[in-house]
Amino acid sequence: MNQIPLSDFLLVSGVLFALGIVGALLRRNVLIVLMSVELMLNAANLALVAFARSYHDGRAHAFALIVMAIAAAEAAVGLAIVVGIFRSRRSVNVDELTLMKH
Amino acid sequence: MLALLAAAPDSAKAALADPKTIGAFSAPRGAFAIIAVLAIVGAAMTITRRNPISAVMWLVGTFFCLAGTYALLSAHFLAALQVLVYAGAIMTLFVFVVMVLNRDEPEPYNFRNIWTRAPIIVVAVGYLIYRLWTHTATLEPVHRGEPPAEFGTLAQIGTILFTDYLFVFEAVSILLLIAVIAAVVVARTMRPEVTHPEPTEEQNLGSELANEPGHGVGGPATVERAGHGHGGHGDDHGHGHGGGH
Repeated sequence: MNQIPLSDFLLVSGVLFALGIVGALLRRNVLIVLMSVELMLNAANLALVAFARSYHDGRAHAFALIVMAIAAAEAAVGLAIVVGIFRSRRSVNVDELTLMKH
Repeated sequence: MLALLAAAPDSAKAALADPKTIGAFSAPRGAFAIIAVLAIVGAAMTITRRNPISAVMWLVGTFFCLAGTYALLSAHFLAALQVLVYAGAIMTLFVFVVMVLNRDEPEPYNFRNIWTRAPIIVVAVGYLIYRLWTHTATLEPVHRGEPPAEFGTLAQIGTILFTDYLFVFEAVSILLLIAVIAAVVVARTMRPEVTHPEPTEEQNLGSELANEPGHGVGGPATVERAGHGHGGHGDDHGHGHGGGH
């Protein structure tokens, strides 16, 4: 019956994480960059939950919960910064945010 | 997932050799394969959509698929939280921000200075291809024996959070409080600094009538109207205007 290899879950987790990295590094819209970061956090969560099931350890669930809280905080602050930047620069393009570069 | 299909004969042979190892394609594995393919498709669509709203919707689909994955892993409480917190709260926040600042981007991909980021992308994509290529499902099954009855329930997670990891729990609560305050502060203070310079206290007190035109520029409409309507009380309105931001 319940026969799913652990490696399948880790494969999905790795694929989601890689897609998140590619999205965060290649997209210009800062909203999509933030979404890619959320995707990476979810990929890490999936690996945590899969190992928790494999080792019958509930502590990983607590950690996944904490990762969710961190992701919520990150999304709130990140989106506030995005709104602030959009108000001052009228742009959500990460290429144009070069204030600290020069 | 092609590699997953290709790996099926190997695991079938392994199942014949040892009944404790992974079976070929049981019902949960089929369900998991569907959910996993949907999650990966959703993630790929998220990072390739030009319209941010489509990206958000695909990401919500991915999060729902991940909730289904958690349910397959006996993490019922986390599955519920995934739907509530991620698909419900966080993505709603994203939708609201997209609504506020919806902009068409002429060129969605960022290839400027690509060489500084190329190694990471190459490693990520190379790892992805390597894993798909060599995926043989040789690890142990994830459902090794029956877990304890309370596994994945709210009671177990609550017990763990409030005994062993109480400090972490409190730290996260303080972090969330800081994040809320920071979000409010960051989203509010950017406005007056960039739209118009704030008049100083001395200017307000000294010559309120002389400052009226400059004072009203760019400010909220109510303050502007109030300032013009009651010239005698301009000082009070000026105070409220300065303190409000």
